[in-house]
Amino acid sequence: MNEKIESEEKNTENEDDDSDFVIDFTTSSAINKVGLKFLLVYIPIFWFSGLVVATLWYGYVVSPVPWIIKLLFLPLLLLGFSFLFIFSCFFFSKLLLIFINLIHVPKEGIFRAERGNMDFEFWRLRTEIKKIALWLIRNWPLPWIDVIAFRWFSIKMDFSSHLNDAWCDAEFISFGKHVTVGQGAVIMSSMVVGNYLIIKKIIFDDYALVGGQSTIAPGTHFGEDTVLGAVSVTTLDQDLEDGWIYSGIPARKLKLNKYAEMRRDIIHKVDVDEEEKVETEHEVNIDEDKKHLIKHKDGVDNE
Amino acid sequence: MSVPNSMRVGPFCASVLVKKKYMILYIFLIWITLLPAILEIWWYWQLLWYEPRPLHFYVFLPLVLLIIYVSTVFAATIFTKIVLVIVNVFHKPREGTFLRDPSDKDYRYWSLRNTLKKWPTWLAHKFPFPFLDNICFKILGVKTKFSNSLFEGWVDTEFIEFGRNVVIGQGAICQSSVIVGNLLIIRKTVIEENVRVGTHVIIMPGTHIGKNCILNTWSSTIVGQELEEGWIYNGSPAKKFKRNRFFEDIPIEKLKISIGDMDGLLKKYDETRVARVTKKRKLIHRKEKEEKATNEEDQT
Repeated sequence: MNEKIESEEKNTENEDDDSDFVIDFTTSSAINKVGLKFLLVYIPIFWFSGLVVATLWYGYVVSPVPWIIKLLFLPLLLLGFSFLFIFSCFFFSKLLLIFINLIHVPKEGIFRAERGNMDFEFWRLRTEIKKIALWLIRNWPLPWIDVIAFRWFSIKMDFSSHLNDAWCDAEFISFGKHVTVGQGAVIMSSMVVGNYLIIKKIIFDDYALVGGQSTIAPGTHFGEDTVLGAVSVTTLDQDLEDGWIYSGIPARKLKLNKYAEMRRDIIHKVDVDEEEKVETEHEVNIDEDKKHLIKHKDGVDNE
Repeated sequence: MSVPNSMRVGPFCASVLVKKKYMILYIFLIWITLLPAILEIWWYWQLLWYEPRPLHFYVFLPLVLLIIYVSTVFAATIFTKIVLVIVNVFHKPREGTFLRDPSDKDYRYWSLRNTLKKWPTWLAHKFPFPFLDNICFKILGVKTKFSNSLFEGWVDTEFIEFGRNVVIGQGAICQSSVIVGNLLIIRKTVIEENVRVGTHVIIMPGTHIGKNCILNTWSSTIVGQELEEGWIYNGSPAKKFKRNRFFEDIPIEKLKISIGDMDGLLKKYDETRVARVTKKRKLIHRKEKEEKATNEEDQT
């Protein structure tokens, strides 16, 4: 018995089995080797956007308005300044990104994750540039405005979608309408496996719903009305069909999404109800002694 | 991209005994670390403030604020280190299983250490610069390299050793101490080079992860588990999934093979769970047997 197992092990070691290279697991999109050279990118972004705020602040201090009014408007002004700082961060990082994308066009595919590979190096650089502005807006007390941030970094997204409580990569993702992403979910359009970097586009169709703490691997396609349960993981290039509920590690079909149909029913019902209401109101509002005056559509008197 | 509030756990301990006297030390630390920052602002004011036309002052202000933040983090870590060294003279931190009770000296000092370390790690974690985190960990005595990235996850600040190129995924937890019921377990966690920990992974104290390992998402290890070198692990507790050959030179066409056999994959994943279920069944059997035995005894 033992000999058999040993021989099998030897065989697997010697043979070049293709199934060894299938990526049927999910790791993370966290970048490794964060070098000090990225400081060179951060400092100008910080400095220039700080300058915008500083000039306005100087103008505010110098202006000949009485100090009591200045004090009154100070909280509003501080709010505005922080907002301005974040948005100028966006502006400058976007400017940098445009230049960087001119040098090297971001593209999908599988690349070697090592020093010297242009795709890998530029992927890291892009991630780092986007990080600072997104970090700032995520710490801002208005939760819905991070959609603006994602739109700035040219992700197709709508204000009806919501992903404030989730980790989300800021490239190669497109959202439909009314997409909801749960708390602590991780959406990754890139993933490093061993020596290789995988970048693939994630597509969410309308009304897709992602449960809390779930992980979405690159290349996943969400159909319309698809639901992914909490604590579930999709594998690379998984295609989730329209109108199904998926759950588990890795995500598998659980049942048909009846709730989506119910939602459509409710919409229809609401329309019908409103029409009925209009009809009933006519009858209710009329006094008993005047009811004989109404004529129905067919012309028959009401008794 | 950035860590949202629901995932921003930062290095702190789940259940720490915070006594009032610890709080005094904590507030003292915050007070003393903010002093250098104020000094720097005063010094900058003296250097560049020119009343009629303060152009230089405003131009370099954003840059100086950035430097002040970084130096505050440094000050916080250094002052905490000094206090920690003094605390460790009174009681040396050691591994082992202790009682989770204020009467246990080890538990008391472990809580004190964690309370002290919270301020610098929080300060470093709040900033988008990832390397600040690494510096903070290094000064506080965690063996890491600058090539590691630990800032997306949650990492304990003592009894942890990292090799080169370790990546902790988003929302992953890497512990060296855990509270189980009435016990506090502290054991050294060792993670060797080129390990990639997936998202939401939980690494328990005492885990030893060999070189070139990959942990799949949502897998977890048990206390004192040994993960062999060069394997991909999956499931909870982590089991061998397949050999990690992604560090070899492979033609990229080979990697583009999609997962054709989805049912086979599901079976493969399920196998890692079945073992646990059978164990539970065994337990249930044992309980039933015991109940039967007691019933028979009662009858006789």
